[in-house]
Amino acid sequence: MHPLSNSKEGEEIVVRCLDCNCDDVCRLNELGCVEGVNGKIISNQQNIILQLGETRLAIARKLAQTILVSPV
Amino acid sequence: MKQPLTIALAGNPNTGKSTLFNALTGLRQKIANYPGITVERKAGTTIIGGVLHKVIDLPGAYSLNYKKLDERIAYETLIGSYEHEDAPDLVLVVVDSSNLDRNLYLATQIMDLNLPVMLVLNMTDVAKERGIEIDPNVIAENLGIPVFAMSAKNKGDIEELKSLISEFEMEVPRPLKWVPNPTLHEAIKLVIEEWIEPCTNIPERAQNIEALRLISEGEFIGAFYKFEKAELGKRVIAKARGIIEQDGGNPMAAEVLRRYNFIGEATSKGSVQTRQNEKTLTDKIDAVVTHKVFGPMIFTFVLLLMFQAIFSWATPFMDMIDLLFVEGGNWVANTLPPGMLNDLLVDGVIAGLGGVVIFLPQIVFLFFFIYVLEGTGYMARAAFVMDGFMTKVGLHGRSVVPLMSGFACAIPGIMATRTIENWRDRIITIMVLPFMACSARLPVYALMIAAFIPATKVLGIFTLQGITFFGLYIFGIVMALVAAAVMKRFFPKGQETPFIMELPSYKMPKWSVVFHNVFERGKVFITEAGKIIVAISIVLWFLASFPKTEMPEALNGDTTEYDSSFDITENPESYQLRHSFAGKFGKIIEPAIEPLGFDWKIGIGLITSFAAREVMVGTLNTIYSIEEADDAENATLKEKLRNDINPETGEHVYSIATAISLMIFFALAMQCMSTIAIVRRETNSWKWPTAMFVYMSALAYICSLITYQIGSNL
Ligand SMILES: Nc1nc2c(ncn2[C@@H]2O[C@H](COP(=O)(O)OP(=O)(O)O)[C@@H](O)[C@H]2O)c(=O)[nH]1
Repeated sequence: MHPLSNSKEGEEIVVRCLDCNCDDVCRLNELGCVEGVNGKIISNQQNIILQLGETRLAIARKLAQTILVSPV
Repeated sequence: MKQPLTIALAGNPNTGKSTLFNALTGLRQKIANYPGITVERKAGTTIIGGVLHKVIDLPGAYSLNYKKLDERIAYETLIGSYEHEDAPDLVLVVVDSSNLDRNLYLATQIMDLNLPVMLVLNMTDVAKERGIEIDPNVIAENLGIPVFAMSAKNKGDIEELKSLISEFEMEVPRPLKWVPNPTLHEAIKLVIEEWIEPCTNIPERAQNIEALRLISEGEFIGAFYKFEKAELGKRVIAKARGIIEQDGGNPMAAEVLRRYNFIGEATSKGSVQTRQNEKTLTDKIDAVVTHKVFGPMIFTFVLLLMFQAIFSWATPFMDMIDLLFVEGGNWVANTLPPGMLNDLLVDGVIAGLGGVVIFLPQIVFLFFFIYVLEGTGYMARAAFVMDGFMTKVGLHGRSVVPLMSGFACAIPGIMATRTIENWRDRIITIMVLPFMACSARLPVYALMIAAFIPATKVLGIFTLQGITFFGLYIFGIVMALVAAAVMKRFFPKGQETPFIMELPSYKMPKWSVVFHNVFERGKVFITEAGKIIVAISIVLWFLASFPKTEMPEALNGDTTEYDSSFDITENPESYQLRHSFAGKFGKIIEPAIEPLGFDWKIGIGLITSFAAREVMVGTLNTIYSIEEADDAENATLKEKLRNDINPETGEHVYSIATAISLMIFFALAMQCMSTIAIVRRETNSWKWPTAMFVYMSALAYICSLITYQIGSNL
């Protein structure tokens, strides 16, 4: 497992654990970022763009550090 | 359905709710306010089977957890907690078929509200393109609600949807159809029975959702209900969470995971994705547009293009309108018998109105750009690209869209801040937003630039006028950023809300919607601004035309009698104006504004423009029409300004320093009643609008003073 912020562009991952505060977990959840869901890193420059199914999410780097993922 | 219904359209942002709303209601819609908190809301009517039904377009929401004001409005409307408005009779949950699972999260929450629900699978055309096939019947069966697959762009589909609504029996889906696991179920029951029912006034239909929210959050944040015995509440919630934890579950995730499981099961049998992993157009565009280096460059270029276009493309239309009003004024002047009515119409109403309507083309272009950028999906990228920078100056990536809307008008901009969750970020954005050069400043900038800045070519393609114009916009942006950075220091830090945002896939905007919205905004500008301007023009005309003052004979040059209050070169109209009510009042305030380079005529304009900025130009037009000598009858306002001579000093009233000082004043001062009113409503207190008015106006005065003093001594 590693933080989302350390993933490489193009990498396919599974979201494992949302280790952020309750509000942020809520936001991520309702946008489809739930533990166990598969995704792909579209861009990792300053902020991260994560593709989850048909949803494309822009996530701040700081927040991405608290999202643990593992490679598919 | 034979009796009239209230139909609410709910859904995630960008699912086509507004498109469907427009298709259903056509022109039978109006933008009104929500009762109580009075933020803008769209309602209209539609005729189905001969019955007139009411349709409400709710703000886009991802869930009913109301972290954002927008979501709270959607939620409160659905549960009927607004006064004078019951819960809707039917909810159409509009979802994006190409992104079904995520969209159904909100749908399953709405299904818990004890309301008749119908699922509208919109954008089936997009889903098809992406190789997603959906069987609405299977999904309907799994979810237990009627499902209709459609494209809001297809007229036939809209008619079919209407007939489906008319046949619908209004069954209510069973709440908690997604079946919470036994411990979660027990926890919900506990919270409702021991706390919500006895101690709060939460309506029955909302009790499940509220219980779930309390269980997952563990506290009462954002609770807007009156309740008693908070301590008991906290104990009950802790006990409920304990039940889940004892079973090895996580109270924060228990609901979400069950809901997504339920959704997954419902859609896996009802939708198939045949193509995968192809690089879509969105991928290709995003690779460039969200790039660390190219992204901000593209953003700047888009802004530049927008302003250049507003300035040059709108010119021919503006010339046309100008001609129309001048000719119209002349026609009225020559047709009606001379006298008071003639003066009032020509010098008061037509001159005042003409001075403002002329800016309609620029406003139309501006809104056109804003709606196109939003419709294509670019606005979200702009927020993404600028987030890092915005955070540094004390704002948030989400502030970008409201700030950009501020170029059109501060009011939609301030309303757009409802998507900012964090209170501090939201207040700072609201407080600096009026610095963005809104379209109402355009008239003043355009007039001053056209009159006093030479059209010298710079670098071959730009003109000094264009650059000044662009500079004023940049000045507004810089001031907003500086003010935000300063305010950030004064606000308690609180919890930060990191940037999370959905980036919708790129789409061609629906042109009919874009044009419809632009038309609506133009109409609002003309009618709203028009009303104030006509009223002010009439009052001004009166104040500037009375009392009628006898002109001293010296004016004819055939007497040597000395009167220090006029100059031998002054014409009778100017003399009358100076001795009118308006003139006297202007003279009173003149000492206060003289150091900024303004005379009493500008002073009158400044006073009236505190109602709305664009009134300034109308006012000057009225004043100068009354003042003008007959030989100057056909001169345009800018020529009149250029040629205006102060009878006391014999010098030009306007110098370049005056013009720049005036533009700076307009760039910074808080001269808009509607903005004050909307800030009051959105922040629910007089504290913020008062602070805004005071700091912006003081800043405007000081900066204008410095500008003029330096400028005139150079
Ligand atoms: N292809 C396609 N585009 C649609 C459809 N419905 C809406 N749109 C477009 O999707 C974008 C967002 O729609 P809008 O009605 O503003 O969404 P809202 O945010 O839910 O109100 C607009 O550019 C619409 O033109 C549809 O059925 N098919």
